[in-house]
Amino acid sequence: MNQETHARARQLITQERVEGISQADHDWLSAHLQECVDCADHARHTEHALRSLRTMAIPLPHGLASRTQFRVQLRLQEMREREPKRRALWVACVISWAFGIVSAPYVWRLFQWFGERTGAPKLVWELGFGLWWTIPALFFVVVVFMEKMRQSSESDWMRQSK
Amino acid sequence: MSATTSCLTTNRSASLFSTLMADEAKSIARGLQKRDPALLDRLIEQYQYRLFRYLVYITGNKERAEDFFQETWIRVLERGHQYDGKSKFEAWLFAIARHLVIDWQRSKKAQSLDTLTDPEQEHPLQFANENEPSPLHQVLSRESEESVQTSLTRIPAIYREVLVLRFQEELQIEEMAGVLSVPLSTVKSRLYRGLEALRGAMQGGVA
Repeated sequence: MNQETHARARQLITQERVEGISQADHDWLSAHLQECVDCADHARHTEHALRSLRTMAIPLPHGLASRTQFRVQLRLQEMREREPKRRALWVACVISWAFGIVSAPYVWRLFQWFGERTGAPKLVWELGFGLWWTIPALFFVVVVFMEKMRQSSESDWMRQSK
Repeated sequence: MSATTSCLTTNRSASLFSTLMADEAKSIARGLQKRDPALLDRLIEQYQYRLFRYLVYITGNKERAEDFFQETWIRVLERGHQYDGKSKFEAWLFAIARHLVIDWQRSKKAQSLDTLTDPEQEHPLQFANENEPSPLHQVLSRESEESVQTSLTRIPAIYREVLVLRFQEELQIEEMAGVLSVPLSTVKSRLYRGLEALRGAMQGGVA
């Protein structure tokens, strides 16, 4: 047997545990291990290492679960207390939008009337109207931005990997 | 004939098992959407050992692992709506835990866990003082003097992690790739090297 045969056997020993091997490779490996003491030892050491790894225990700190459950419940309570405030903010956004849309024609006329009364150029009162109309939109953008900031710690990895 | 019957029974059992697992994952996803406190309590109990063990292996420190353990469950509560039950809950849980550790490492040293621990990038994770037993070693030695425990401390964290996920948690390679956010080929390569390192360390060599 040459070095390549042993190298192939050792490669298959590891591959079998990591991702599996074909039946033909399995048969070849079994035959080789019956003939080669060194490779059989290698296979035995690998198996021993994995068995030890699987059966190894780590002591759990006392009360770890109950302490964590307590913290999680506190956080849950906090989140529930904050929930109505967030909902109110969103409702305010929606109302602000709706009011902006419904009142737009009246406000336009109001700006027009004010412009005529004061003799302001048309562009000025039109800009004034535009500015007034963007306030709800700006408010909405600020709210969305704040929501995003709140979730900024949430990176892509938090989203479930498919 | 009996071999065929046995094979059919095995296939049916495997199919039934995977259906049950999928149902369980869906039920967890629904509970997390609703932030069901009873479900969270049950999950913390159910996964405490596996999560803690994983964290001890990747942080190499019991106290730190405990902090990350609590923080992970807080994240599960806050971001539970993002789990849709299409993959195993534990894979999602480990991904959260892992990234909390990476974020902490980054904030501490402005580097990722991979660059800190990947020997291929020549930045192996170093314990505070190599002449003293590492925190991970102390944690493990208290429980037993088994050679595998000592051997594990000699293996770079990045390999320890894949060995734990594959051979203790029994995650599939695809699931591991999701947890680690790396390609399948990287997972496999780390597993091969990790296994070699473990065997080498257990035989008394240097990993």
